[in-house]
Amino acid sequence: MARAVRHRGPDGFGLALERGAGFVSTRLAIVDLPRGWQPLRSGCHQRGAPPPFATRSHQRGAPPPFATPQGGGLLVYNGEVYNHPELRADLRRRGEKFESESDTEVVLRLLERDGLAALHRLNGQFALAWWHAEARRLVLVRDRFGVRPLYYALSDDGTLVFGSEAKALFASGEVSASPDLQGLDDIFTLWGARPPRTPFRGVSQLPPGGLLVWEQGKLTAERAWWSADAGGGAPRGDLGELLRDSVALRLRADVPVGAYLSGGLDSSVITALAREEAGHRLRTFSVAFSDPLFDERAHQEVVARALGTDHHTVQITPGDIAAAFPEVIRHAESPLVRTAPVPLFLLAQEVRRHSITVVITGEGADELFWGYDLFKEVTIRELHDREPERALGLLDQLYPYLGAGGARRGPAWRRFLLETGGRDDPLRSHLTRVQATATVKAFYHPDVVAELDGKASSVDRLRSELPESFGRWSPLQRAAWLEVKTLLGPYLLAAQGDRVAMAHGVEGRFPFLDHRVYEHAGALAPERKLDGMRDKIALREVAATLLPAEAAARPKQPYRAPEVAPFFSPDSPEWVRDLLSPAGLSEAGIWDERRVAGLVRRAQAGRVEGIRESMALVGILSTGLWHRAFMGQDAGGYSPETAEPRVRIDNTSEAAGKELA
Amino acid sequence: MSAIDVRGELRSFIEDNFLYLRPGTELADGDDFLARGILDSLGFVELVEEVQTRYEITVADDEITEENFGSIDAIVGFVARKRAET
Repeated sequence: MARAVRHRGPDGFGLALERGAGFVSTRLAIVDLPRGWQPLRSGCHQRGAPPPFATRSHQRGAPPPFATPQGGGLLVYNGEVYNHPELRADLRRRGEKFESESDTEVVLRLLERDGLAALHRLNGQFALAWWHAEARRLVLVRDRFGVRPLYYALSDDGTLVFGSEAKALFASGEVSASPDLQGLDDIFTLWGARPPRTPFRGVSQLPPGGLLVWEQGKLTAERAWWSADAGGGAPRGDLGELLRDSVALRLRADVPVGAYLSGGLDSSVITALAREEAGHRLRTFSVAFSDPLFDERAHQEVVARALGTDHHTVQITPGDIAAAFPEVIRHAESPLVRTAPVPLFLLAQEVRRHSITVVITGEGADELFWGYDLFKEVTIRELHDREPERALGLLDQLYPYLGAGGARRGPAWRRFLLETGGRDDPLRSHLTRVQATATVKAFYHPDVVAELDGKASSVDRLRSELPESFGRWSPLQRAAWLEVKTLLGPYLLAAQGDRVAMAHGVEGRFPFLDHRVYEHAGALAPERKLDGMRDKIALREVAATLLPAEAAARPKQPYRAPEVAPFFSPDSPEWVRDLLSPAGLSEAGIWDERRVAGLVRRAQAGRVEGIRESMALVGILSTGLWHRAFMGQDAGGYSPETAEPRVRIDNTSEAAGKELA
Repeated sequence: MSAIDVRGELRSFIEDNFLYLRPGTELADGDDFLARGILDSLGFVELVEEVQTRYEITVADDEITEENFGSIDAIVGFVARKRAET
């Protein structure tokens, strides 16, 4: 299992053997380099073993849930808790003694003292597994937004297998890979499988902000410990100060931290704050494209120059995208409908080449401050219900990057955008995306259609899981919640975030996704986020104090990458033709050969220009690669780990607690 | 360009863009696109855009009806009427 996810932790691994349980952790060394190894076990007074660090009960009355003041717990976790120095200082005041400077030790101690209530004090991104041998209890927890992944599979006999990536589960030999058609249907509806579903049958992912409890061989609880629901009350704190603090926390590392600079507002703000907080020349990294349609180099350079960063650019060609696509799919562990994760995979590779293992980025700001065009569409639709003429005028100003305003695309397109979904449809904001993406499903093999028939569709499942208060929210609040739940977690932070960065052992950190910043934004008055067509107002005010005027006022350019050119040029890789051939398509059996042949003819003739058919093309190709990687000719081959562990804990014998470092 | 040419061009546009997704489907000139499931709402957008661009006609909001765009016959008639107006 360690070998399967070594890319996530290339610096070594540790393992723990417990009676009836085993844990392994690969390490990307960022904090307390000499000592921060995992798994970490706390002392166990009841066994009489010498406690490496004593824990004491501090509360009278009933202990908080799962608090184990007698110690004896074990922790493996991926990620970081940034406020660990403050939490450590607080624990010291309460009498705790520490052996290391690592955040892992703080998290374990805090959990043992305060039980699950401790989770609310953690500011960071983490997927953790907390084991208590005495109770034979395992608690799995995922951070609020699901920055760090956590997969698990529960077999009929009660065996639980978990890991940061699904491939670790497959490498265990306990779980086999097969497609989950409803998981795939999620991807071909909303771009990513919605937790707990994954594209693999029998493999689940813990939802963001979720936890799971497994005791004595049974799953005893599965619930949310934090919710992203629309906020209320007055915003707490000052946005500029909160962001500054969030950036400062995320610069905490014993290794150099870099920044991604897209050229847009969000990453520019974060980079500006990081430069001030870091106190040294910051290294910044950008994706540039050979095709000017996608390229934002000029804007990136303006910001890099203004902030005096040591700036590096990776120029991406369509050929680069095709070449890296199979590897990206292997890391994403999912079919994709866009190629946009590929340039970020190549960017992380470049970052690693510079020996940088931590990058901060502007991810999350568009969800918090309603920056996406999708939110403007919501506003225009609402206006159209009252003042159709004005709404049409605004629509014409939207999407200038498409090369044609709303008027030039004509009335049918306007009507599609304005009238899709009824006024009271809770998913109204997202139905245009759903419909455009659904084109992919027109290529399904009849057997797939038949198997999905009668099962709840992706959209129906989403409708049935909306929070009870959803109906009371404004259309923009609803859109924001849907965006966080359907795109940010399942796609942006996953295939386009964690997976492509961790493929190279690079950890992304996202200051906008500090829960304090999120809650502040959630409580802002709507017009402080989007006022008519003016977006991210509160954030732009902060930006104006940090950036050149041009950068602070720059409208959003959606991040996109070439979709068709990589796979249909004379020097496209052989696997493209191979996967699109009848034999190639029959491997996964998801797509109908005749329909795909029609699409391929169109692509070869250079006639696949729209987003719908390009999504279909990318979806079909990536499904083939995904199937080959996990269920087909390239599957398996998980070789055993041969290196020596840096930590070995053996708790299987009576002389428990033997620890080697 | 005659009505016959328009008819032929439209048919090949629809076959090329939409019918390939429905192997084995035969489409008559009078068949209703939506009722036959040939076009979804986005397909309809693409069809209207194609008619606008190819025949250089301006389509008004209230002209986007099944009566004008619902079948090959309907579009042929619509294009002829619009051309007669200019």
